[in-house]
Amino acid sequence: MDHSHHMGMNHMDHNSTMAPHHHPTTSASHSHGGGAGHMMMMHMTFYFGFKNVELLFSGLVINTAGEMAGAFVGVFLLAMFYEGLKIARESLLRKSQVSIRYNSMPVPGPNGTILMETHKTVGQQMLSFPHLLQTVLHIIQVVISYFLMLIFMTYNGYLCIAVAAGAGMGYFLFSWKKAVVVDITEHCH
Amino acid sequence: MEMHFIFSDKVVLLFDFWSVHSPAGMALSVLVVLLLAVLYESLKFGKAKLLHQALESMPTLTSQQLIEETDQDSSSSESLPVSSTRLRWFSYHFGQSLIHVAQVVIGYFMMLAVMSYNTWIFLGVVLGSAVGYYLAYPLLSLV
Repeated sequence: MDHSHHMGMNHMDHNSTMAPHHHPTTSASHSHGGGAGHMMMMHMTFYFGFKNVELLFSGLVINTAGEMAGAFVGVFLLAMFYEGLKIARESLLRKSQVSIRYNSMPVPGPNGTILMETHKTVGQQMLSFPHLLQTVLHIIQVVISYFLMLIFMTYNGYLCIAVAAGAGMGYFLFSWKKAVVVDITEHCH
Repeated sequence: MEMHFIFSDKVVLLFDFWSVHSPAGMALSVLVVLLLAVLYESLKFGKAKLLHQALESMPTLTSQQLIEETDQDSSSSESLPVSSTRLRWFSYHFGQSLIHVAQVVIGYFMMLAVMSYNTWIFLGVVLGSAVGYYLAYPLLSLV
C-alpha cells in the first residue's frame, strides 16, 4: 500500500519512488501502521485532510469539514493571541521600568589614570507586581508557543496555514500601534 | 520513528517528494537546510532594513504630531500629506507582516527538519544558523 510512504521509515523508501506522491491521503490511512511492527500514528510529511485528525488533546478529534473549519478559526485566533501577548508584554515592560539605577565604579584607564565608569541598569524589584505579572504572562506565552509548535507538528496543511496566517495577522494588527508610537520616537533602537 | 539522533542516509523531510536515500542526496539536503537556516537569520536583517528604508523615505514628523494624529483620526488640518504618509506607513507595515509570516513559517520548517532526528540534518540547521548569524549581524549595524 503506497500510503505507507508517509511514515518516513527507512525500509519503506522503495515505495516513495512510486508516482502518486501528489495524491493527498486522508488521515484515515495513517491509523494502520506501516510494515514491520511500528504502529505509527503520526504523519511525517505535510498533508491536507480533515478525517481523524487528533489535535493536542486525546478527546479533540476532527472528523468533518465543519469541525476542521472550526479548528482553523480556533488555531488562527490562538496564533493572533500569541502575537498580541508578545506585544503586550513588551509594552508592559517598558511602562513598568521606572527604576533606573546608576552605578559608578572606578576602572583603570590608559596611562595609569583611574576613570569612573557609570553603569545604568534598568530593572524591576523581584517581588513587585509588574514583575510577577510579567512572570505569569511569560508562563502563558511559553505554554501557547509550545501548543502552536505541537499544532504545527500535526503536519496538517490546513492547521499549519492557520498558524502562519494567524501569526501574520496578529503581528499586523498588534504591532501597528506599537510601530507608530515607538519606532518613530526611539531612533536609537 | 526512533526518538533519538541517528546517522542515516535515508530520511523524508517535510514533504512527500523530498525523500533522501543516498549520500549525495543527503549532502544536497543538508545544503538546502543550511541555506534555509541562513535565510531565517537574514530575515531579521531584512526587517531592520525595511524599517530603515521606511523611516528614511517618509517626511520626518515630530513624535508629538504622530501621537496626536493617531489619537484623532477624523480631523486633521493637513490631510493630504498626512494621508500619503499613512499609506506609506501602511504598506511598510504590511511588508513587515509578510516578512514576519515568512519568518514564522521558516522557523517551523526548521523545527520540523530537526524533528526528523537525523543528525546530519540537525548539524546542517545548526551550522546554517551560525553562518546566517555571522553574516547578518555586522550587516545589521550597517543599516
